[in-house]
Amino acid sequence: MTYLMFLLLMGLIFGLIAVASNPSPYFAALGLVVVAGMGCGVMVSFGGPFLSLVLFLIYLGGMLVVFAYSAALAAEPYPESWGNWSVAVYGALYLMGVILVLFYFYGGWYESSWVPVDELSGLSMFRGDMSGVALMYSSGGWVLVISAWVLLLTLFVVLELTRGLSRGTLRVV
Amino acid sequence: MNPYIMSIFLLGLGLGTTITFMSSHWLLAWMGLEINTLAIIPLMAQHHHPRSVEASTKYFLTQATAAAMILFASSTNAWITGQWDINELSHPMSSTIMMLGLALKIGLAPLHTWLPEVLQGLDLTTGLIMSTWQKLAPFSLLMQMNLNNSVMITMAIMSTMIGGWGGLNQTQLRKILAYSSIAHIGWMILVLQFSPSLTLITLMIYIFMTLSIFCLFKMNKTTSINSLAMSWSKSPTITALSPLILLSLGGLPPLTGFGPKWMILSELTKQDLNMIATITALSALLSLYFYLRLSYAMTLTLSPNTTPITNQWRFNTKQPTIHLSISTMLSLMLLPLLPGIMTIIN
Repeated sequence: MTYLMFLLLMGLIFGLIAVASNPSPYFAALGLVVVAGMGCGVMVSFGGPFLSLVLFLIYLGGMLVVFAYSAALAAEPYPESWGNWSVAVYGALYLMGVILVLFYFYGGWYESSWVPVDELSGLSMFRGDMSGVALMYSSGGWVLVISAWVLLLTLFVVLELTRGLSRGTLRVV
Repeated sequence: MNPYIMSIFLLGLGLGTTITFMSSHWLLAWMGLEINTLAIIPLMAQHHHPRSVEASTKYFLTQATAAAMILFASSTNAWITGQWDINELSHPMSSTIMMLGLALKIGLAPLHTWLPEVLQGLDLTTGLIMSTWQKLAPFSLLMQMNLNNSVMITMAIMSTMIGGWGGLNQTQLRKILAYSSIAHIGWMILVLQFSPSLTLITLMIYIFMTLSIFCLFKMNKTTSINSLAMSWSKSPTITALSPLILLSLGGLPPLTGFGPKWMILSELTKQDLNMIATITALSALLSLYFYLRLSYAMTLTLSPNTTPITNQWRFNTKQPTIHLSISTMLSLMLLPLLPGIMTIIN
């Protein structure tokens, strides 16, 4: 289990570096997909399978759209990947930063932060994520209402920003 | 923009700030800030020209970063201490990250660089919302937190100085107003940990003064010093009053803007921070220079152009002026009422 966790966290960090090291847009989108997948894996290992599943489905839906859209917008004959110097230098810098932070926080954050949620499973009737979902539909009902309203608001925001053929400015051509 | 859609966005703007005001839980406070950011973006980009779209993109990126920092800090605090309360942000790391995030949200130096750029791309009404209403929610959070002394004072002093220096060589009014906003926020943050009620008073008075100066520029349809110099012929009363409003922003004695500065300096000397009080008072001189330059260009001199060609024709204004007149009166004459205000808010 620890090895799996190690692998997932490593994938998370490398995915983040893949986004941040400034490659061509669709490699960055690929990095984002990797980050989302690995993050959901980390959450499963921490003991939140339901949340992780929900997040994975939503992220994958959004990421597919972003991936398809950026690949369509920014298709180039010679895309820059980790093989190019500019990207490789950024990647190496970020990696060195990660290693420095790792040395700095080694004692505190290394294994003690890998304690899964289910350590407490003997004390409670439900799993952590399930009881959270139940709470959201009972005493946290108003937060749910506000969240739904925010989603609607976001829909209006996106529609307003991209409406009209002549008026929309969020496009390349 | 369609009025129905517009009302949804304005409602969202109000809802976001209200949620942040009434929450005692960091997650809800963060939600309110996000709703606020989301709702104002289409209002910023409503004219669909490249500058406003660029401004709204910059605003979105900085605010998203700030919100992510706030969420990260609060969840780290919850992870370490098990507390989600706004008052209980006790761990030093998460409290510092939280303060940096909120400073990025309100545009406190050295995290201020987005503010002049964003404000320059907006029209004056949206710019007014941006520099008044959008500050309220982060300020309500800042006033409830346990704060980190030295970081805060450093940022506040840097903010007053950069606000003064940055505005010196600008010719665009919206950029000058952005730097003036940065300097004022520095004053507010400086006194925040000694007397939060004083911060509240300063914020209130700053909002009145900014309201009147934005409405004035909007009524005269000016966005640069050049057009400001040519707009003196539009309305004589406004021309006579505008240097007073500007000097009130700069903080000269008989005007309202002097009150908060006076009280803040007195509070700082009571706390034995004489050096900091001196530096801040001197940095206000930097801001005073560009306010004085604006009033000089508008009222105190005639611009060297051939008059018949460039003078603007005078019509009765079609815009509602009631908020301009009320806020102008407030920003000129509130100083004698300051003891009363202090008593009510304390």
